[in-house]
Amino acid sequence: MLQETAVYRSIVRTPSMDSPSGRALHAFGNVFMHIYPVRVPRGLLRFRSTWRLGFISSVLFGILFITGLYLMFFYTPSVSIAYGDMQQLRAQVGFGQLIRNVHRWGAHLMVLAVILHLVRVFVDGGYKAPRQFNWVIGVGLMVITLAYSFTGYLLPWDQLAYWAVTVGSGLVKYAPGIGEAMRDFLLGGETIGQAALLRFYVIHVAVLTLAFAMLMAVHLWRVRKDGLVVGDPPLAHDVTARAADRLVASPDSAATDAVWLADGRRVLGVIDTAEVPAHAREPADEVFSWPALIIRHQVVALAVCALVLALGIAFEAPLREIANPNLTPEPSKAPWYFVGLQELLAHFDPLVAGVLAPGALVAALVALPYVDRNPSRSPRDRKVALLLFWAVFIGLVVLTIIGAFFRGPGWGFVLPWEHLYFEP
Amino acid sequence: MDQTRRDLLEAGWNVGGGMLLAAAGWTSYVALKPLASAGGGGVLPLLPPDAYPEGSATFVRQGRLFVTRAGGELHAVSQKCPHLGCAVPFCESSGQFECPCHGSVFNTAGEHVSGPSPRGMDRYPLQVVDGRVLVNTTVLEEGFPLGSKKFDLPSRGPSCATEKAG
Repeated sequence: MLQETAVYRSIVRTPSMDSPSGRALHAFGNVFMHIYPVRVPRGLLRFRSTWRLGFISSVLFGILFITGLYLMFFYTPSVSIAYGDMQQLRAQVGFGQLIRNVHRWGAHLMVLAVILHLVRVFVDGGYKAPRQFNWVIGVGLMVITLAYSFTGYLLPWDQLAYWAVTVGSGLVKYAPGIGEAMRDFLLGGETIGQAALLRFYVIHVAVLTLAFAMLMAVHLWRVRKDGLVVGDPPLAHDVTARAADRLVASPDSAATDAVWLADGRRVLGVIDTAEVPAHAREPADEVFSWPALIIRHQVVALAVCALVLALGIAFEAPLREIANPNLTPEPSKAPWYFVGLQELLAHFDPLVAGVLAPGALVAALVALPYVDRNPSRSPRDRKVALLLFWAVFIGLVVLTIIGAFFRGPGWGFVLPWEHLYFEP
Repeated sequence: MDQTRRDLLEAGWNVGGGMLLAAAGWTSYVALKPLASAGGGGVLPLLPPDAYPEGSATFVRQGRLFVTRAGGELHAVSQKCPHLGCAVPFCESSGQFECPCHGSVFNTAGEHVSGPSPRGMDRYPLQVVDGRVLVNTTVLEEGFPLGSKKFDLPSRGPSCATEKAG
């Protein structure tokens, strides 16, 4: 048996996962297994408990990371070479076009999955104490996902890329005071050229990846530490606050990190916050993560891989003519997740529609857990919050649908069944 | 105050860390600010004024600009839409500039007619010297503000956007 050899035992030092103690030791002693708790609430096994959207987002990130690495071998961030590389990818590189298709559709799906994850967490009240800051990190991850899409959009250097990014970066200059400096910083000049392509490339492959990986590590760590919303009672309870009630200040707190319980006992580190002793508690309805949850995750991961592969085989990622700064195609549309913003821009001043409105949306999302102090996660107690959220969300969906399907040349109104101008 | 030394050291670390961050930010800014541009073309010598008839708009590729004649005057307007930087084509049928991105419309003189653009098309100084039109592409002037229409130039026919959509 391989698992009994001395070499294998030196790599995997914990016992077999066939026994409960083996599973627990794996979760403690293995860096990858440590992402999962030893046991999870049984309710989490239901697909509809989370719709697995956070997990799906991270699977898509993995797919994009791997396909992106592959694409980097065949791409040169130069305005005179990049477009040729795209054609070469299609014509000469083995599976090149398929990998590009998977990268493209995977990116779209990731934006969708991240947005739906945010919606699900909001509806479940998952941003409430003690998870406020993890919600903020999640909003950061969503912003990075959108920045990934925006920077990646320019790289093929075709007409679609050039003009979508021209419009997008044109917005930056309207930011009061720092707009022009920000645009110069992003583009390396006033217009999109070689400097902009190189900057977008470096930001896309290195800067955002580093930032995303770090934030995702903290995000998952906090999920693990704060516990899962699914297992919590419907009313939020703040473990830290409750534990603090049972503590008194140490007589010389500056001299030691130890804390003191009200009965005078000194405690180092872990505090059992439960009101009843461990032996008297009802056993929680929990199952081992391995195999119950991990097998389910593996099935979802495989399904996501199959879906992006099927999309990649069925639909080719668009590649228009080479970027031409003298000719804006008609109509010139942003990718679907920014097209609502583009629709807003046709009606309002760019400062309002392009800077203040999206800025206010992100600021509101960040501030949400600190403004909404209602501890209840039950929908009946959160009518105002849910109503406001759905109003904004439906407004954005309507703007996106109008921009994506009902706009044609010159941003004129066109019925989609007469002529469909949709940019994937 | 029995912790003065500790407080001082802590403050020192904070100030030092702050200075380090500021230095990192400043060096990044200096390193990443745009390189001085090689110059945007200078003065472009173009055709004699008679080559630009009333109501026409001629694209000058070197300068990414149009030379137009409207209301008896010559104008040099930038092709870049002041709204978000799209390249604005001239529509022959309507005699107007129609932006494909958000539908801003400008008349032949580059004045704002409709749409979300915050002003008229940006302009370059234009002179006629020794019988030739000269456009100075090193100086870009902001277009006419909204509502300050000097020229009465109505659309002369159907717009290109409507034609394409139809």
